[in-house]
Amino acid sequence: MYKQHRSLVELLTAIGLIAAPFILPYLNFAPNTVNRVLVWGLFGIGFDILFGYTGLLSFGQSALYGTGGFVAAYLLTQAGFPHVVLALVIGMVAAAVVGYLVGLIALRRTGIYFAMITVAIAEVFYFVEFNPLSEWTGGENGLPGVPTPTIDLGFFKHHFTTGWSLYPFLAFIYFIGIVIALRIVRSPVGAILTAIRENPLRAAAVGHNIHGYKLTAFVIAAAYAGLAGGLLGVLQAFMPPEAFTFDTSGQLVMQTAIGGRGTLFGPLVGAAVWLYLQDFLQATLGLGAAWKLVLGLVFVLLVCFLRQGIIGGLKDLYRLIFHRGGAEMEAPEESVPAAAMSVGAAATPLPVHHRVAEPAAGPILKANGVSKRYGGLLANSDIDFTVEQGELRGIIGPNGAGKTTFFKMLTCEVEPTSGKIEFAGRDITGMNVTDVCQLGLTKSYQVNQLFTKLTVRENLQIGALADLRGKFRLDLFRNPARIPGLGDQIEHTLELVNLKHRADTPVAQLAYGEKRRLEIGLALATSPSLLLLDEPLAGMSPQERVETVKLLKSIRQGRTMIVIDHDMDALFELAERVTVLQEGRVLTEGTPDEIKGNPAVREAYLGGVLE
Amino acid sequence: MSLLEVQGLNSYYGDSHILFDVGMRVEKNEVVALLGRNGAGKSTTLKSLMGVVTPRTGKVVFNGSNIAGRKSHSIAQAGMQLVHEERRIFGSLNVEENLVLAGHTAPKRWPLDRIWQMFPRLKERRTSRGTDLSGGEQQMLAIARALIRDPKIVLLDEPFEGLAPVIVHDLMKACRDLAAAGQTIVIVEQNLAAVLALAQRVYVLNNGHVAHEGPAAELKANPDILHRYLGV
Amino acid sequence: MFTWANFVSQMFNGLALGALLALISSGLTIIYGTLGVLNLAHGAMFMLGGYAGYVAFEATGSYIVAVAAGTLFLLVVGIVMERVVIRHFYGRPHEDQLLVTFGLGIVFVEVVRFFFSSLTKTVPAPPMMSGITSLGFMFYPTYRLAVVGIVAVALIVLYIVLYRTKLGMIVRAGIEDSLMVDSLGIDVYKVFMVVFGIGAMAAGFAGIVNAPVVSLTPDVGEAILVQTFVVVVIGGVGSFPGAVLGGLIAGEIISITSMIDPGYAYVMLFAAMTLVLLLRPHGLLGVRGRE
Repeated sequence: MYKQHRSLVELLTAIGLIAAPFILPYLNFAPNTVNRVLVWGLFGIGFDILFGYTGLLSFGQSALYGTGGFVAAYLLTQAGFPHVVLALVIGMVAAAVVGYLVGLIALRRTGIYFAMITVAIAEVFYFVEFNPLSEWTGGENGLPGVPTPTIDLGFFKHHFTTGWSLYPFLAFIYFIGIVIALRIVRSPVGAILTAIRENPLRAAAVGHNIHGYKLTAFVIAAAYAGLAGGLLGVLQAFMPPEAFTFDTSGQLVMQTAIGGRGTLFGPLVGAAVWLYLQDFLQATLGLGAAWKLVLGLVFVLLVCFLRQGIIGGLKDLYRLIFHRGGAEMEAPEESVPAAAMSVGAAATPLPVHHRVAEPAAGPILKANGVSKRYGGLLANSDIDFTVEQGELRGIIGPNGAGKTTFFKMLTCEVEPTSGKIEFAGRDITGMNVTDVCQLGLTKSYQVNQLFTKLTVRENLQIGALADLRGKFRLDLFRNPARIPGLGDQIEHTLELVNLKHRADTPVAQLAYGEKRRLEIGLALATSPSLLLLDEPLAGMSPQERVETVKLLKSIRQGRTMIVIDHDMDALFELAERVTVLQEGRVLTEGTPDEIKGNPAVREAYLGGVLE
Repeated sequence: MSLLEVQGLNSYYGDSHILFDVGMRVEKNEVVALLGRNGAGKSTTLKSLMGVVTPRTGKVVFNGSNIAGRKSHSIAQAGMQLVHEERRIFGSLNVEENLVLAGHTAPKRWPLDRIWQMFPRLKERRTSRGTDLSGGEQQMLAIARALIRDPKIVLLDEPFEGLAPVIVHDLMKACRDLAAAGQTIVIVEQNLAAVLALAQRVYVLNNGHVAHEGPAAELKANPDILHRYLGV
Repeated sequence: MFTWANFVSQMFNGLALGALLALISSGLTIIYGTLGVLNLAHGAMFMLGGYAGYVAFEATGSYIVAVAAGTLFLLVVGIVMERVVIRHFYGRPHEDQLLVTFGLGIVFVEVVRFFFSSLTKTVPAPPMMSGITSLGFMFYPTYRLAVVGIVAVALIVLYIVLYRTKLGMIVRAGIEDSLMVDSLGIDVYKVFMVVFGIGAMAAGFAGIVNAPVVSLTPDVGEAILVQTFVVVVIGGVGSFPGAVLGGLIAGEIISITSMIDPGYAYVMLFAAMTLVLLLRPHGLLGVRGRE
């Protein structure tokens, strides 16, 4: 939707903001309520990038809201700083800096730990504002007398005051805020943030520095919070200490969930509903303090039954009425005709990127004396393993032979207890998955690790971006379409794994075989020079197996591959050489024929009953 | 009527189709082995019977009633026990507590003495915590934990895997004694020699399908099947 | 001004607060350990315990009845909440679980505000535990001393239930491997329900026992919730001993810092949490992977 009309959303937002003062009074919105909705909406834009897009639920945004607000208010009321807008910007920067520091601590953990830590941090800020810093912040009195801004363009001078007079100023800032946020979520960084929400482990495995990106999202959210905090002071002509309370963070979370997370506009809608209902329940129905009870119940019901909030609900309704989803919802293709597969095979292989100087021939991967111990269990012991450039190697072994552990060490998911692994002449022992992927070594997983809410194309884009942009880059305003080679790389990969006709289908609607191909495609999109495939045929029907073997043959040109699989017929057909592991050691190595005829291998598999 | 009769069982992990129309039957007092390469679906079959994996379609008639789709605890109460491949001993509980917990909801249970008689080693270690047991002791405990519930059928998933030969020998003896006492057993095991010594009948699974069914003795005489579905 | 008597009395305060935090955190941590749900309504449950006790006290004038009422009411609340809401969230993402328990917490607080207003309510200490006691070198409020004893007894009871009964055995086994518990014929959902009930009960008991120390308001649970998080992060999620150790550490940090400057109590608490996160990311007694 965004793609066809790049600026449509912006245009509609502008129209809406201009029309609001003419329409909302008829809906019994007080001007001050509208202004507060804008401030909460702006606060929520950043929070939505953090929570809705990146999947990090923070209950501590009040810390940053308060920081930005008090820095700006202090400058304007105590330090005699005259420029309101500049003070707001300084407050925003201060909040961003604080956000960076807080993020360093809170992002050490994920999930519920992250939520708990953010709560605790916010509480610290609250107490610090009240006590140690009360000399500057006014403690429980806050900072009164925050001025409203004036613009002076020489020929035109205007002083914003309160109510509808202040509205254009807030609306303008909200507009800038939403335009910037839209750019961010459409940028490569935005795509990666969504990938982190969907599957952080895979996002890291295809070569993105997810910690850096999470911290980026946290700082962005902090900046929005800081600016909104400053505006709160301007709006009320007073910076209230309540900005720092847990209630502030909670209200933000609830408004975002009510409006719809991951939409940028959700917080604005949520705030409008919240503040309108608050006025309505309190004033019109005379419910007094019970308004919050009603809102709390509404919130709980929404979380239970309307997971994507009001905007999500409206989207579903729209689809339901106009059957827009019909085309997408068609039954997934169960199997792809063999003819279609040959298209994939005919596609030109992707150029393999050489990020490290590789010797033209000779081993691309060398493991020397690699062992892995888990507590008392020796999973791998003293494995020597060499793979030549351009080879297609198979690894087999009975259950418990240590194949998976060995693969994990090669991709640096686990560190060997002893031994050394070299990739393209470089020691990679002890590196992390992200860096190794950036060097050109990656893996497709035994159990699909996809970004399930994204489309096939968007999935491949995540892989390709890591290849083309490196592991961390802050191109927050870049249009991905302008990244040279990105489109080609995605198209090539789509062709290779034969998913061109499904490019814009969300992963959740793919058939299992298609997902398995995408799993391989995701690894391929990073244009690895060494590709590891962990049971690529797992869970496939015989028909799909035949097709996937064909596919694997077609993608191998110019690439080194190592395959683990239990389907021996398929593996022997594919691999040029096969390594057999048994009880954590290399039993033997040879051509498929040699392996088939090797008595030691038979013994390993059959336990010698035949003799 | 057979004690256990499985028809048209289809199981999935997520949307990965693992079992295709698996059918099998187990008579009372019988020992049946499931063979096949890694990834053939043997463990998944046992898990589907026990309700750890819920089969998507198919019938599992156990002791006269269809248990497909029921929760594990209700299947356990109907008299089935699965000894998991990973053993799943409660590390924070000691040996005796592991056993008492297991027997808690059993309608009829073995007295502890009968367990101690079968596994004297466990009696010696009755107050040791699960985490402090050796691999062999853990496996004994895992089996004992199933037996204390006096199950109508025991499903053993690779009980000898990763154990020292001496321990395998002991466990084998225990299994043989059990079978001799009339315990119905379904066993999945890579160690063919051990399986063929125990089982009367075998099912061979290949890529989630039942590829062969027959008496164990026949398999020994017919190495072709072994090569085709188990070997290299 | 620093005096030894003051210091010792603060140590006692720390012990009382720490024991209380230990009890509440134990509830939070066993719920999380078994069900995998972080209950953000836990602070509100602490508050509900206090109010349920208050109502019972107003009706009967008996402290014992108040404590029993606060505790049992929360057992019921916990069980109902698990059956009606939480059960449907086991399969949903952590964020949704956080959102729904957070929302329920707000509903609890606002229901209480609706019926009892925001004004403070007090439950007096029972006559035999009121007044002050001489400890020889200093005087100390008798009820606070009693709280240390009462909560210590509660922790011991919880310990006995968890470590010396069949139910506790099942709960501990469930924390470790709920699938295996199910395979052994024990309905794991029933276990979850009971665990949620016990966790809620611990919070409710703490709420009513603490009511004579700090007056009740609907918001009394909020600060406790935050402190409980710090306790759990310090002690390690899912660990009962960790909750006790973390509770005592947090209680002493808050009290001793408050003696010097109350404004820094949270700063020090937070510093301790950060230190633990840096040195032992899984908490002092936490187990890796339980997250």
